[in-house]
Amino acid sequence: MPLINLPAFAGDLLADFERRNTLRVDTPVIQPAEPFLDMAGEDLRRRIFMTESETGESLCLRPEFTIPVCLRHIETATGTPQRYAYLGEVFRQRREGSSEFYQAGIEDLGDPDTAAADARVVGDAMYVLANRLPGERLKVTLGDQSVFEAVIAACGLPGGWQKRLIHAFGDQEQLERLLAALADPKSPGVFGHDVERVAALGMLEDEERLVDHIGETMKATGYSTNASRSPRDIARRLKEKVELAATRLDKEALGVMRAFLALDLPLADAPAALHRFAGKARLKIDDALALFDARVAALARVGADPGLMRYRAAFGRPLDYYTGLVFEIGVEGTPAVLAGGGRFDRLLTLLGAREHIPAVGFSLWLDRIEQAIAAGRAE
Amino acid sequence: MTVTIALPSKGRMKDEASAIFERAGMKIAAVGSDRSYRGRVEGWDDVEIAYLSASEIAREIGSGAVDFGVTGEDLVREGLADADARVDFAARLGFGHADVVVAVPEIWYDVDTMADLGDVAADFRARHGRRLAIATKYWRLTQHFFSGSHGIQLYRIVESLGATEGAPASGSADIIVDITSTGSTLKANHLKILSDGVILRSEACLVRARKPTHEGNPVIDRIVAAVRAVL
Repeated sequence: MPLINLPAFAGDLLADFERRNTLRVDTPVIQPAEPFLDMAGEDLRRRIFMTESETGESLCLRPEFTIPVCLRHIETATGTPQRYAYLGEVFRQRREGSSEFYQAGIEDLGDPDTAAADARVVGDAMYVLANRLPGERLKVTLGDQSVFEAVIAACGLPGGWQKRLIHAFGDQEQLERLLAALADPKSPGVFGHDVERVAALGMLEDEERLVDHIGETMKATGYSTNASRSPRDIARRLKEKVELAATRLDKEALGVMRAFLALDLPLADAPAALHRFAGKARLKIDDALALFDARVAALARVGADPGLMRYRAAFGRPLDYYTGLVFEIGVEGTPAVLAGGGRFDRLLTLLGAREHIPAVGFSLWLDRIEQAIAAGRAE
Repeated sequence: MTVTIALPSKGRMKDEASAIFERAGMKIAAVGSDRSYRGRVEGWDDVEIAYLSASEIAREIGSGAVDFGVTGEDLVREGLADADARVDFAARLGFGHADVVVAVPEIWYDVDTMADLGDVAADFRARHGRRLAIATKYWRLTQHFFSGSHGIQLYRIVESLGATEGAPASGSADIIVDITSTGSTLKANHLKILSDGVILRSEACLVRARKPTHEGNPVIDRIVAAVRAVL
């Protein structure tokens, strides 16, 4: 049934998707809410439209397509590699604009050649946007979570701090707070009286004794030792926390991290700049850079215009299933994001896939594209 | 215009609120029988009293159905999005003290701050195959505090309408967000409050609905002034 509020270019867009070797899929508008809340966190609850089934199952109106498309892929046990395309309505409460709007996009699942798949998906997004907006100059911003992870690992921070920083990647304010805390710790960490007691008993150095002590205390107080965090989890993180509290980032390492996060330059210049940066700071991040270089080369092979692309080192998404490339595309000189995408290698396993399925994709904001087309005509 | 004040319909909250109004020169008399849900204020013909349940009061102030209400700040902030824009906490009444707090099992030796909890939450899924579960009836306050103030997104709320303190020991949740006045129930259940885990220090408040009709209405100002004068 043709929907009358469908953007006028929907047919052409779908034809483009087909030309890019994708399988069009649809997913039900009413979805189980669990997977969305589980992946994105409780904060999403305020922004999606939820209801309950007669049997008490939480349901929601589809807030996006990536999770439903991936779930469908797992359920239908389709082999990989597989490229899916979708176009349909999504429902989300937004600060601006209607809370029901169209999205379309591609999910590229299961290609083990990371650089090639990344480049292909960026190329797909640029191709379909250029076809909708001929005569407009696109601007593509790329970021890379794996380069960031490699840099902080090479800076020699303890594991706990690495996790905190990785978790904050893409959330500029939180990242700044953490870096400030690393440079100038306000307190050496807060430890309760119980910790002083076990430290006095010499248990902090003896993991086995500490684990036993925690296990016995849990049993004595009626806590099950396997329903939540285990005695060993607690003992290990206590050790990690003692390390965290003792960590100071010296000025030089902080300078290296800030210099890295400030990188914002044409993508074509990025490989050389990153190698120069790593050399100067004496960081061993060769593996991450090799993938970065391969992706830049692959982008050239798919014919993506390098003049339109920038690399911004601090650009990321603070969701724990994003693993590598992130990108967004708009029209030069305007703030609206028309397409957003990235690599989410962890998502399918989190959703229940038995084997590891690498995945990369993007989605288009069709209402914003319509506005951009209208603005282009008005000029 | 008649100004409506909503008061708790029973219990200590009702008695203490009535006592404050009486001291403020606003003695409340029931309309009809003692069990009536309507009251009037002697000498204040343009004021009426509506007795409602404490949680209903927050909602009625939010919708503007009543002009004032006496209820816990926690219920107002939990019940209304953007509470400060919609209501005015005109006076803090000095009773009904209770803190909304984040509490974790005492045995979590490694967790004493929200930052610690953030570390645990970030790793939880990888270690346990599920997100960190928080038992609470305070959905809004929890989300606001965890996501807004501490950048913690990865947790799930398990709704708990009673005996929340028992959830971690029974295994139905890992930690709780709940109300406490003395901390003794938490202690009895081997829970500890995080050092920066006080979400709200709540008490009973005289809360005014922000309504345009209140502008320049002398009765509104007189009520607020009378109550404030006796605190």
